Amino acid sequence: MTIIAGVDIGNSTTEVCLAEIKKNSEIVYLSSSIYKTTGIKGTLDNIPGIIQAIEAASNNAQISIKDIGLIRLNEAAPVIGDVAMETITETIITESSMIGHNPATPGGLGLGKGVTTHITGLPELESLESVICVVPHTVDYEEAANLINRATEKGIDIQGAIVKKDDAVLIGNRLKKKIPIIDEVAYIDQVPLGMLAAVEVAESGQTIKALSNPYGIATVFALKPEETKKIVPISRALIGNRSAVVIRTPQGDVKERTIPAGSLIIEGLRQKETVDIEEGSEVIMSIVKKITPLNDVHGESGSNVGGMIEKVRNVMSNLTNQPRGQMKIQDILAVDTIVPQKVTGGLAGEFSLENAVGLAAMVKTNRLPMEQIAEKLAKELGIETVIAGVEANMALLGALTTPGTAKPLAILDLGGGSSDAAIITNNNKTSSVHLAGAGDMVTMLINTELGLENLHLAEEIKKYPLGKVESLFHVRLEDGTVKFFDKSLPPQFFARTVIIKGQDDMVPIQAKHSLEKIRAVRREAKHKVFVINAVRALEQISLTGNIRYIQYVVLVGGSALDFEIPEMISNALAGYGIVCGQGNVRGMEGPRNAVATGLVLSI
Amino acid sequence: MQMNEQLIREVVLQVIAGMKNSAENINENKTALGYPSLLKREGKELIFNEIGPTTRSNKTDEVVIALAPAFGKYQTKTITNIPHAQVLREIIAGIEEEGLRARVIKVFKTSDVAFIAYEGAKLSGSGIAIGIQSKGTTVIHQKDLAPLSNLELFPQAPLLDLETFRAIGKNAAQYAKGDSPNPVPVKNDQMARPKYQAKAAVLHIQETKHVVPRGKTIELAVEFK
Repeated sequence: MTIIAGVDIGNSTTEVCLAEIKKNSEIVYLSSSIYKTTGIKGTLDNIPGIIQAIEAASNNAQISIKDIGLIRLNEAAPVIGDVAMETITETIITESSMIGHNPATPGGLGLGKGVTTHITGLPELESLESVICVVPHTVDYEEAANLINRATEKGIDIQGAIVKKDDAVLIGNRLKKKIPIIDEVAYIDQVPLGMLAAVEVAESGQTIKALSNPYGIATVFALKPEETKKIVPISRALIGNRSAVVIRTPQGDVKERTIPAGSLIIEGLRQKETVDIEEGSEVIMSIVKKITPLNDVHGESGSNVGGMIEKVRNVMSNLTNQPRGQMKIQDILAVDTIVPQKVTGGLAGEFSLENAVGLAAMVKTNRLPMEQIAEKLAKELGIETVIAGVEANMALLGALTTPGTAKPLAILDLGGGSSDAAIITNNNKTSSVHLAGAGDMVTMLINTELGLENLHLAEEIKKYPLGKVESLFHVRLEDGTVKFFDKSLPPQFFARTVIIKGQDDMVPIQAKHSLEKIRAVRREAKHKVFVINAVRALEQISLTGNIRYIQYVVLVGGSALDFEIPEMISNALAGYGIVCGQGNVRGMEGPRNAVATGLVLSI
Repeated sequence: MQMNEQLIREVVLQVIAGMKNSAENINENKTALGYPSLLKREGKELIFNEIGPTTRSNKTDEVVIALAPAFGKYQTKTITNIPHAQVLREIIAGIEEEGLRARVIKVFKTSDVAFIAYEGAKLSGSGIAIGIQSKGTTVIHQKDLAPLSNLELFPQAPLLDLETFRAIGKNAAQYAKGDSPNPVPVKNDQMARPKYQAKAAVLHIQETKHVVPRGKTIELAVEFK
């Protein structure tokens, strides 16, 4: 009779399964445990984490570590993933031709057209020309309103105003004649004076109609057909705004420039293809699919994407202490995304949503130095330690302990760094693939699309559902249900969108996004990475190349514990007639502990 | 810096002298505020018309501004000599810019800024109130919170300028709308405390003198002339 410990070192967690092998080789499971992986998977830094996990499992089983006769480590799949992102478009405004920002509180209503005039120049103005007032921060709202009212009484046709301070509503409320007013224009001194301009403010809850339409701008400025062609980028940039200013300057223009991001050189075993990053993720992924299995991926040298790929390679080679030349990229996942970026030349510090491509790369290294880990572990604990079985096979064995499964069975192991899949056929043949892109990529997408600049917060948004604190006594959860509290919540939650981590554990999100927006971004990011990768992985391991050949798919790994990813994948795969769901290893562990269990089973 | 009795006495005398001259000082302070042209024209004087005892309102589009007993009457400027007229005008402007209305009340029963604001919050139709002491200490409160809790607190009165007061009004209005604004950024100065401690104490004692135990809270109509 011996007690053995199966130890699975994963990217983020180390899991242990303790079992007793009886004389008749019957296996009795004693306990299991889970601990955060210390250091990068496959390095000596893992040892403290492994020891902690084994200790925890021993405590659970109420045995001493000394009772363990054998430790079986997994032959960790030597793959590591990394993510990077590159913006591929850029908006540039020249000659201050447009102010397209969306102040929270514009004033007045309607569309006005006139010549830009400094407000202090109003009293001297004689002409009957239409005027758009420019109000710097030195003029107070009451004074501005007085000046405009007096000028209007004198018969000057004031059509609108552009204001530096957040004063639009205040000025608007004091005017006898309603005009559209835009405020919070930070660089108001750069607004050209004496130019024809148009100001438009829509009702709250609505968006502008005239200035976001090329023909609308053409009507306002009486443009010729060929001039109308040129202002299309301006009108496009203003779509969806509640307020906008367009100033007609001789050379004024808005350009949406495509940044020459460079191209990817994808090398397969037989062929090689070059694809421009600007073509977007769909084209890149179709080429990857065509060329798979990949040999390596390079970026055009001297370009942005070249730098990005080299950075990934560098990180990997530093992690594994192997020369950079040996870092072969075996898979990439490209995802289209949008990044809020400050507009070059904008007068109000406005942001524009630029297109970007996120890339996850997966590097196959040489065998990880597992022997060293085993040796050191044996020395520290005084227990015999062996490296047993390939990770994917072990995971399959563990997953098969899920009640209701049968061969041929495929598993999807959705982790942090890579998405792995393996299949076992009726005659016990196995094969596996490792794909780039998993939890870390979702975190990156959430972080950039919401402009959080806080990876920790992005991670929390990824993991938990949301709620909105409607009063200090109740929270409306994202599915529409309401949760009440007997005691009032702490003030930092008031009116915030919160992450619901647990019964009484909430984290307020300090960002100006609605709950709906955050939820949409979160779900979209998960879909783009996990659902796409699930289909991609199953296509690659299916013996016939047809995903329908697979009947049972079990989800294991950390991301299978997510509150919505398993459902998303189940939904997507149901279309192929596949039974797919979260694993339940040994009928009790859920999607966890599959590899560790497999290590014990395979003895 | 050595603090002895004589020094404190001097500071106190200076403060009291300064308070007596407040009426003359107002004109000098105007240039420092960024828009001098306004100040010759408006915001000179604050005129309160007492409407009478107030009750809780049902108007959800209002933010209550709850003033301490001496505000604008026995004291007319903050610890850094910003006239109360301008402070109040900026807070009201911040609320108006967000499309809400300000209701000004005066609390007599306490000079504690937390309880002043809490009293305001309980009377406010939106449940949101801004409490402000004569020396400038300000707090944004909500009716369901404990009295000594708050949504945002601005404890260092010497560091508050008119821009901050505008932002406080704006944020309070956004809370009333159910938005979740980022808290108003406040400066922090370790020297503010030693530098202003004596003055703050004197001003607070002056304020507390005008507390009327069990005094009724009244609503005010505010005019700037």
